[in-house]
Formats: sequence, structure tokens, C-alpha cells
Amino acid sequence: MRRIVAICLLEIKRTFTRPSSYILMLAMPLMFTLLFGNLFGNQAESAIHVALVDEDGSVFSKNFIDQLGNQTYVTYEVVDGKGAEELIRLQEVQGILTIKNGFLGLLENKTPAISFQHPPGSTTAPMLEQLFNQAIRSADLRIAAAQIGASYESKDWETVYEQLIHADEEIRGISEIYSNDAKVESWNKMSYSSAGFSIMFVMIVMLFATGALIEARNMGIWSRLLTTPATRIQLTLGYVLSFFLIGFVQFSLLILLTSVLFGVQWGDPVGLLVLVTTLLLCVVGLGMAIATIVKTSEQQSAVGMLLIISTSMLGGVYWPLNIVPEFMQKIANFVPQSWAIEGFKSLVDGATVGDIMMPILVLLSFAIVFLFIGLSRVRYQ
Amino acid sequence: MLTMTQVKKCYGDQEVVKGVTLHVGRGEAFGLLGPNGAGKSTTISMICGLVPYDEGDIQVDGLSVNRSPYEIKKKIGVVPQDIALYPTLSALDNLLFWGKMYGLKGAEAKNRALEVLETVGLAERGKDRIETFSGGMKRRINIGAALLHRPELLIMDEPTVGIDPQSRHHILETVKNLNEQGMTIIYTSHYMEEVEFLCKRIAIMDHGQVIASGSTQELCKRLAGGNQLLLDVEEAGPAFVDKLKQLEGVEKVVSPQQSEIHLYVKQGQDMMASIVSIASEEAVKIRQIKLKEADLETLFLQMTGRSLRD
Repeated sequence: MRRIVAICLLEIKRTFTRPSSYILMLAMPLMFTLLFGNLFGNQAESAIHVALVDEDGSVFSKNFIDQLGNQTYVTYEVVDGKGAEELIRLQEVQGILTIKNGFLGLLENKTPAISFQHPPGSTTAPMLEQLFNQAIRSADLRIAAAQIGASYESKDWETVYEQLIHADEEIRGISEIYSNDAKVESWNKMSYSSAGFSIMFVMIVMLFATGALIEARNMGIWSRLLTTPATRIQLTLGYVLSFFLIGFVQFSLLILLTSVLFGVQWGDPVGLLVLVTTLLLCVVGLGMAIATIVKTSEQQSAVGMLLIISTSMLGGVYWPLNIVPEFMQKIANFVPQSWAIEGFKSLVDGATVGDIMMPILVLLSFAIVFLFIGLSRVRYQ
Repeated sequence: MLTMTQVKKCYGDQEVVKGVTLHVGRGEAFGLLGPNGAGKSTTISMICGLVPYDEGDIQVDGLSVNRSPYEIKKKIGVVPQDIALYPTLSALDNLLFWGKMYGLKGAEAKNRALEVLETVGLAERGKDRIETFSGGMKRRINIGAALLHRPELLIMDEPTVGIDPQSRHHILETVKNLNEQGMTIIYTSHYMEEVEFLCKRIAIMDHGQVIASGSTQELCKRLAGGNQLLLDVEEAGPAFVDKLKQLEGVEKVVSPQQSEIHLYVKQGQDMMASIVSIASEEAVKIRQIKLKEADLETLFLQMTGRSLRD
């Protein structure tokens, strides 16, 4: 046990005596959280502005506008056609969304019911198009539901559709009252960024920490360790424990600092402890797997960073997954970050450890696979 | 202290150690020599328990390396050729860490680390980071890390590579003192003068086998022929070299270049006149003749056909 502790303390000391560690462990994630938290924040000035022309003017088009309004990072200015063109000319909006006359009929006939015009080369246009398509799909679903309901109730489907809209508003109202009564802190953009960037930078720090394995192998330290009366199991446990504790200290500090600086409420402490522990096992396993597959520190940095940044993008660290295409949302199920974010989101929204068993079990499965690869490939010489 | 009996090691189809038998007595300083690829490092790795041997047996203080590796590791200190230290930590922190890996506890580890810093002559630099040290100082700490647990057997693999003469002298003096205090030393080096200074007995390895072993004086006399004559000539033809080989008392003639001939002889003084006479017959002009006592360098060259630093 003394030898395990000796290796563990040495690696922790080596990490925390490097000033650059603090930049990577704390300064960078806090900076990214602040930046992205405000980019997708609630403030009107940071949102994307779109001009909205409602040619239909029916209760259905108004409901569609309400649905769009739920997206807090896009704001709409309802104007007529001329007003919209003026706003585009003055570059005050990113595009014009037009709800065509006969909106409901067009939807029923599967013909385009909305149009979106944007300046050439607009960087936000693909994301907005994705958003509008999702809203249209949602409206399509309501029509289908209304038509099925109408066939049972012998009413015309437009009436049923109207009833559905009202029912939805009532449910939403109840949900808001429930949240306020329970005094649960909701999942806002700052808590989203805090969780996302904490995960990503813990992964990056772990990449550098597990680089100790490559460094020790290349410097002859592993060979020397094997000439001491330490067993291979003791050596491996010493390293794994040190990586885990480095990650744990970093995550704990990030939770503390984001709470103090950005007011993020992370939710149930027990759930948080279990989720962070599972995530760290997964991240340590991934770091060890990479360290045992590559041969040099340079390879490890290149492969590791590529893997972490790409999976962070896929897993919804930078932006919410509901703005990406459906196939990418499916891919996100195969990266640990999306499950970790799912777990943190639930905790922030008031869940307890029992409610986040799914993300925990999936992360645990990732951890088992990564640790198996990492531990089975450790070569000391 | 160390007994190796018919030890063999194969990597795939290649047999890299071919039945090595060696004995090193307690308190002895023993030199292990051989050119690169001779099997020295594999032999040392097998003694340390880093590499398992396929056949034969290695015993350290009566314990078999394959059967009791952890008991044996407590008795052995290994100084690797690499500087296996953490550069961003201080010398004292490095020594404390290695002490703990050898099983020393808190205060004991610290006291030993301070003692070892004294032994290697770096007591005043204990708090400085290794990366600020010169090559020689790093080597001294590298040796110190193997001394913390007071090993009975110290195995040193080229411990003086790439360092200044002053540090080399300090290291050799330290190792000599340790040996005089009763520590058994196994020493490998490319520097013959170091082996001659430290070791009373040596073994020469080549192609995975021990091709000679014994005391340095005995081997020099028995194998090298006693003296070496170095001839510096102008354009020596094959007839001249053939005639030299036929001279009575000449053990071996090596001609690395056309202008350079090495003769291994029993009594160099007595041969001079005969060599000058043959040169005169063959019209070969001799620029210089040097008489040299046989040493490990000549012995090694004669045994392996290669210089030790090739």
C-alpha cells in the first residue's frame, strides 16, 4: 500500500507543482464557460435576431410562432414584408422567416409552409434552418395527431388541432408552477457550459496526466521501478489512483468556482459525487487506453486532442444537441460526453442519484471498456 | 553472492544468451565487458528480474531469481544506463520517492536520502531540481537512488556515459569506497580504465556467450600474450605480415591498416631486432615501434576483433 501511495503522491505533486497545470485545469475551462455561456446566453443582445412575417395570421400560425419563441437564443421581430426587407438592409436581422398564407393547408398537403431568406454566406443560416425544420416537424406531428383524434371524435381536425394547442399551453403552465414551487434551479446556458467545459478540460488534463506513463516508459523509470520490490499491480494502481485524484480535485474546484463565480447550482451532491466518479473512471480509462496505444508523447497529444475535441463537439459540449441534425444526435449516444451532460442536466433540474441511473450505467460501461483496453495494454518495458 | 548456471534466453528464434555461467563472490567488484549486442544488458536484466530466463538458474545470495524475485530485489540496487529520475522534482524528492519504493518509511527514508546525498557529494544541492543539474551530477543522483536501501549487490550499467572527468573520478571513488565497505559490485562500462580501476575479476561476453573470465592480470597474460608491439610502417605488404606471423614468440598479428601492425608477443624487448631485420629484407620502412604492456583494451580487441567502443 505504501508503494501505491508513494507513486500516487509523486504524480499528484508533479502535476500540481507545474504552473501550466492551473491554466489547463482551471483558467481555460472557466474562460470557455464564460465565453460560451454568454454566447448561448439569455441576454437579448447575444441572441440571433430574425424578422418574422406572418402572412397567414391564423391561430395556427400564432401557435407556431409561440413554439419558435421557446428557443431562447433566437429572437423574432414580427413585421410585415417591407419592414422585414428594411431590417435585412440595415443588417439588424440574420434573415426573414415567412409563414405563408394558408399555413395549415400547406402543412396538410405536405407543401412548404414557411420560407427563410438570408444574406449569402450567412454562418447562422444552417443552424436556423435546422431549427425551423424541427418546428415544422413538430407542427406536422400535431396535425397527424389532430387528424387521428378527429376520426374518433367525429369533429373536423382543425378544431381538434386547436384543442391540442390549448392543452399543450395548460400543461406547460402546470410545469412552470411545479418548478417554481419546488424551487428547483433550471438548466440554464451557464450551467450547460460549466458542465460541458468541465468535462472537456478534465479529459484534456487527464490526457496530459496519463502521459506520465509514456514519459516513465521512455525515460527508463518503469524499468527502474520494476527493479524495486514493487509488484506490477502496485505500480498500476498507484498510477490509476493518481490520475483519478487529479481529475477529482480538478472537477471539485471547477464545481466550486463555477458556483461562486457564475452562480451555477449543480444539484444533488450525492448524485453529483456518483456521476463525477463514474465519469472520471471513464476518462482515466480513456487516457490510459490512448497512452498505451501510442508510442510517444507527441502522438498522444495529437491523437488525444483530436479525439477529445471531436467527441466533445459530437457530445454537445459546445452547443445543445437539439440544434444539430438527427443523425448527429444519434451519434452523440456513442460518446461519453453526451451522457455526462445528460446526467448533469438532470441533476441541475432537480434529479437525484436514482433518476440518473441510465447515464451512470452507460458511463460505467464506457469506463469498463476503456480501462480494460488501457490496463491490458500496459507494457512496463 | 551471484551464481549463474547455464542461463539461456531466446527472443523468438534468436538465442541472445547462450548458456552463460558466472560466479561473483560476496564483496567482490566484477566487470562485465562486451561489445554492443553481446548480451550484457539481457544478462543484467535477468539478474534484476526484469526479464525471465528460459533455461538454467540465477541465484542471488542463495535465492533463485525466478522463484523469489521480490526477496532478491530487496538485496539488489540497480543503476541503469538511462537517467531514470524525475527532472522537475528536487534531488531530495527523487531520492525520497525511490527510498519509499524500496520500502523505507517516512523518517527513515528522509535520513537515508540525506545520507546518500552526502555519499554522492551533493548534500548542498538536495533542494534543487534535477533539470538544473549537470550531466555528471544527474549521474551521481542516479547512482544514489540505487543506494538508499543499502543493497548487498549493486549492479551498474554504464554509469559514467557522457560525463566530465571530474564527475567520473568522483563516481569511481564512490563505487570503490562502497566496494571496500563490503558491497558487491557488478560493473559494465565501455571505458576499460574504469573496469581496471574498480574490478579485480572480469568476464568478456560476445555473441551471447562468456568467451573469457578471470582476474584482469591473469587474462591479460594468458590471452594477450604479455606485450603488444605497435608498428607504424610505410606500405607493409602481405609478405612482410606473413613473415612476422612466423616469428617465434608471436601469438597474433593484426593489421587494422596497411601502415599499422599490432603484434601480440610474449617478450616484446627480444623481438625488436628480428622485426627490423625482416623489414630490411622486405624493404619496408619502419617509422616507429611502440612497446605496450597488455591491458584490457588489447585483450578485448584480441578476443572479439572489435574495439570496446565500436
